[in-house]
Amino acid sequence: MLTCDTYLMPTRLGEALHAWSEAPAGSRLVAGATDILPYAREGRGGDVHLPTMIDLSRVAELQGYEVRGNRVRLGANVVYQQFLEDPTLVRLLPNMPSCAVWFADDQIRQQATLVGNLVNASPAGDGLPPVLTLNGEIELARLESGQIATRTMPVADFITGPGRTELRDGEIATAVTVDAMEGYGGSFQKVGMRRSLVISAVCCAALVKTDPSGRIFEDVRLALGGIGPRPIRLYDIEDMLRGQEMTRELVARASLLPADRVASRSRVAYRRAVVSGFIEAAIEDALVALGAPKPTPEQREALHA
Amino acid sequence: MKRKLRGRGVAASWYGIARTATIDRAGAWAELDDGGTGKVVTGVTEIGEGILTLLCQVAAEEFGIKPEQVTIGDNDTARSPEAAHAGATRQTYMIGNSVALACREARGRLFDELADHWDVPVEDLRAFDGFAWAENTNKRMSMAEAVALCKQRGVVPVGSGSFTAHGTGLDPVDGHGSPWQAYVFGTQVAEVEVDTVTGEVQVMGIWAAHDVGRAINPRGVAGQIEGGVVQGLGQALMEDYQTSEGHPVTHGFAKYILPTALDIPEINTTIVEDPDPLSPLGAKGIGEPALVPTAPAIMNAIYDAVGVRIRSLPATPEKVLAALAEKRAHDMN
Amino acid sequence: MPEFDIDFTVNGRPVSRRIDPSLRLLDLLREGLALTGAKEGCGAGECGTCSVFIDGKLVKSCLMPAAKAQGASIETVEGLARPGELTPVQKAFHRTGASQCGYCIPGMVMAATSALRENPDAGLEELKERMGGNICRCTGYTKIIEAVEIARDVVAGKLPQTALDPEGVGASWIGHNTARLDAPSKVSGRLAYAGDMVMPGMLHMQVLRSPHAHARIVRIDTSEAEALPGVACVVTADDVPGEDGFGVFVHDQPVMARGKVRHVGEAVAAVAAESVRIAREALKLIRVEYEELPGLYDPEDALKPGAPVIHDYCPDNVVKHIPVRKGDIEAGFAAADVIIEDEFATQQVEHAYLEPEAGLAYVDHDDVVTVISPSQNITHHRHMLADILARPINKVRFIMSPVGGGFGGKEDMIYQGMLALAALKTHRPIRLIFTREESIACSAKRHPSRTRYRMGLTNDGRITAIEFSLLADGGAYGMSSEGVMRKAAILSCGPYEVDNLKVDTKVVYTNNTPSGAFRTFGGMQAQFATESMMDIAAERLGLDPFEIRRRNMMRAGSLTHTQQKLNSAAIDRVLDAAEASSGWEPGAPTVRGSTRGDLAGPGTRQPCTLGARFATAGADIETVKVAS
Repeated sequence: MLTCDTYLMPTRLGEALHAWSEAPAGSRLVAGATDILPYAREGRGGDVHLPTMIDLSRVAELQGYEVRGNRVRLGANVVYQQFLEDPTLVRLLPNMPSCAVWFADDQIRQQATLVGNLVNASPAGDGLPPVLTLNGEIELARLESGQIATRTMPVADFITGPGRTELRDGEIATAVTVDAMEGYGGSFQKVGMRRSLVISAVCCAALVKTDPSGRIFEDVRLALGGIGPRPIRLYDIEDMLRGQEMTRELVARASLLPADRVASRSRVAYRRAVVSGFIEAAIEDALVALGAPKPTPEQREALHA
Repeated sequence: MKRKLRGRGVAASWYGIARTATIDRAGAWAELDDGGTGKVVTGVTEIGEGILTLLCQVAAEEFGIKPEQVTIGDNDTARSPEAAHAGATRQTYMIGNSVALACREARGRLFDELADHWDVPVEDLRAFDGFAWAENTNKRMSMAEAVALCKQRGVVPVGSGSFTAHGTGLDPVDGHGSPWQAYVFGTQVAEVEVDTVTGEVQVMGIWAAHDVGRAINPRGVAGQIEGGVVQGLGQALMEDYQTSEGHPVTHGFAKYILPTALDIPEINTTIVEDPDPLSPLGAKGIGEPALVPTAPAIMNAIYDAVGVRIRSLPATPEKVLAALAEKRAHDMN
Repeated sequence: MPEFDIDFTVNGRPVSRRIDPSLRLLDLLREGLALTGAKEGCGAGECGTCSVFIDGKLVKSCLMPAAKAQGASIETVEGLARPGELTPVQKAFHRTGASQCGYCIPGMVMAATSALRENPDAGLEELKERMGGNICRCTGYTKIIEAVEIARDVVAGKLPQTALDPEGVGASWIGHNTARLDAPSKVSGRLAYAGDMVMPGMLHMQVLRSPHAHARIVRIDTSEAEALPGVACVVTADDVPGEDGFGVFVHDQPVMARGKVRHVGEAVAAVAAESVRIAREALKLIRVEYEELPGLYDPEDALKPGAPVIHDYCPDNVVKHIPVRKGDIEAGFAAADVIIEDEFATQQVEHAYLEPEAGLAYVDHDDVVTVISPSQNITHHRHMLADILARPINKVRFIMSPVGGGFGGKEDMIYQGMLALAALKTHRPIRLIFTREESIACSAKRHPSRTRYRMGLTNDGRITAIEFSLLADGGAYGMSSEGVMRKAAILSCGPYEVDNLKVDTKVVYTNNTPSGAFRTFGGMQAQFATESMMDIAAERLGLDPFEIRRRNMMRAGSLTHTQQKLNSAAIDRVLDAAEASSGWEPGAPTVRGSTRGDLAGPGTRQPCTLGARFATAGADIETVKVAS
């Protein structure tokens, strides 16, 4: 059971930062609040008492998104469902729709925010690998002498381990800024115990761009989640593919590399086995999103024969 | 190897109806009520399976009225006759037959009065869907009028029913005995698709053929089979209550994984009717038997698809992939 | 008590309330506004029984602090149609039989409504995706999805309104698809389950549960808890006036732990208080001193000499052993051309009915102790509770409230006794609602099992002998274990006539969560092994799986494993029906999936690849591109 003494719903960032700096120890920020209520239950956090809950969902500065050149600033209140339904976000962030459709369910996606997912830093968080491929930078605000000050840092550095981040006392994550990737094909692979509302055992995000001929990998970005304390970007595999002719042999060869990156504490053999297949599938699906024909099972079979 | 491989498997099953290796019993009271409506009271009914509706159909048939004209009073140890428990695939068989008997007795009281009034043999009387009539005559009246007539003659058309199923205990040494008087049989075919990258198994189709004796509400029977199949699928592929030194590990539905709408196969039901000769309705039951063959049919289908036999449920993606790896290693040696 | 002022709109009506900011939106709707159509199934956003619209978007109200509804417009299942009317979605649920126990149904109706509001043309795959956050345990979803497709097509004019009408009747109601008479109350959220019921002056119960799997209780001190303002009483085993013990076959379980605890989650004491929150506070003030005992967690260990004894009456930990013998097993194996041996295991399974256990107890004007609960066996519960309370049987009354799913899991009287004791102690009505976690940890499960199997067959596929041995983990209490073993033994070798067999089923006590009744009552564990063996044998002998089953199946006049003569056996007919309807391609089960020609045909679904709605989203992108 979750209990609190005070529930605040600030509407301006300054107000929120002030409330946060004044809040008694043990208080908490929430946006969608879809993580804290399930946490405050038997078998997890048990009965949880929060002196103050500060609900950020009405803070004006955290709403919406803004396209700035080739970057998109996603306010901290952008919820997962927007990545499925907002045509501009669908166009600019090509691997977020398939990530979002795997994330929780339609109802939770109406509440749950991408930035909340980043701040919680779960090793299985579905939003983390695509944000790595999008070169996400998180924006953190704090009060300094009564004025709002911000700093930014790459999400890859921000997340330091399971549930651990570089967020400091008094700071509020206000946005994540990502690359606009129009023209890329995106994809997201995930396996859990079923296909809806389930925690990832392994997930993989990809972004792929081909040259005008459609035969050369102009750019490839890949990241894995669920395989260790934090998600990882696969720069070496990207380098191996970039500028090369797109052959199934090359993709198959590249997909064998990341198995040894699996550093989970459990189900290691399983995750290693899945990862290779996922790299291949992620690249293929991203190419399909760009209009490439889906390889037939026979082509795949010939490849591995 | 193709990433996704399909296969099919079959499993058969059998099951006994009502309480096991003992006498089973259930009671009901019935009354043909004013306005040509019906009143039935019995000790145990709905747990979701649809027995209330089925009892209304049975009462309507016996009373000669419509199901929606039947009111059921139930589920109260101080106000209704004993009908024991809601389980053991006994509701249709035990409660259904006791209600049929009770209603039949109440209708008999009414028919005796009506036969006398019309001066026709009681065997010629019929009632259905709100009307009573005498065969081969022009004598006909609504059930509302018939009940009023019966009461004017000083008789309240009430009845009671007690139905017994004669199971016997098992011999303690060799187990011989006749635990049930009615048995049902079932067979299911499963078609699966196994993802050899993730180990995921999707069940694409189930063809379920079950003997239910007599289907009183075929759509309800299909609903029971579909529910049983999906519970069987859950046990086959994902559900796993785990403890560590007695401490539950799967505390809630985030850890205890149940099938959702995305996990279900197309379910193709065939109802087979082998009526029970020992009971008024001839119906047997379907609640439990529906899920017995599902898990083995799925395991047999996984074997057909990828050649790994899962002997320990559930066949999680991890278990299937590990078995595939073991098989590859074995095949190479 | 902290306060938060909230103004919002519910089903078109403005509402202003001063609330405890700890409330979830679900609590505010159910307790504050008596809108109990939204149910609590899990409290963690995993099941969807609590779905409501907020400003037109469907959300799970158990995941939402009530304060978040400030200024919002909320629509609940009660607001979808005027009283006495139903929406096309609700009518379609009624028409198809989409509601069984009904507990998930208000949420399902809301999810279906949302899916069709978001995309009135959504196809089958998209509908499933959009409803993927709502769990149903009864229906297998099939008739739910059928209903949503019908509603979609009726609204779009592709199906006539009459598609929602009841089916006409012919010459008999027997065999008629009468639409469920209880469906309108379920699809509209009007049906009150035990947890939806309130009585004037009602107290709330919370239960202190064992943190240990096996421990002696040295002492329980409830004085501090009893002194807490708002607490009406605390009950423990000491309050039981009669013969303490319940169970389906052996009365080995006390109403609350007596002297020792035998599994994690066992009830130790219960508090009745003016609110759930006070009752939970009081639980923390109960002091229990335990002395931990060595535990048993594996059924094999329970059988070892010197194993800890869990119940004094049962020094060997064997709850029940059922033997079945027929013919001469040695001769049977001697006559076999092949002998196959194997082992099989099944897991412990949770019933996962969407309605957690709940009950309401009171003492009426005739001094009758009354318990309203979704019990699957009010007859037996009345007998047991009368003994426990040492009262005449007519002074104990059980009323079975609508059961939000049972599957055998609500046959055990695991909480009704505590409620009755507290009602007697306070003479006030009292209600207890389990959390999902409590339900999972404390209710019985399907018995996990291990089966050793030996089967002899002739080369033409006739079974000559079976040796079958099943060991099950009964957990801490007997519950239905004896009956489960009996049914497992009787059904063990499947619908086949086997002349020579030796079957043993055995269940033992451990300190795991108790196992009990669960749909099939041992039948599935046993027949999973048998049906796996039949296919293994078929492959070995090069026989089609249907053929090997036909060669062994029971017929009219067959003797069952317990030597009962069958008057009829429809196994031949169900085998034929399944083979024909599936278009089965004959052949031995030799891993022939890659070559068989009967796959992916009629009666199969599409593979689930998430993203069915992208087709529509993609169309939008094209529009955007053209416009820019």
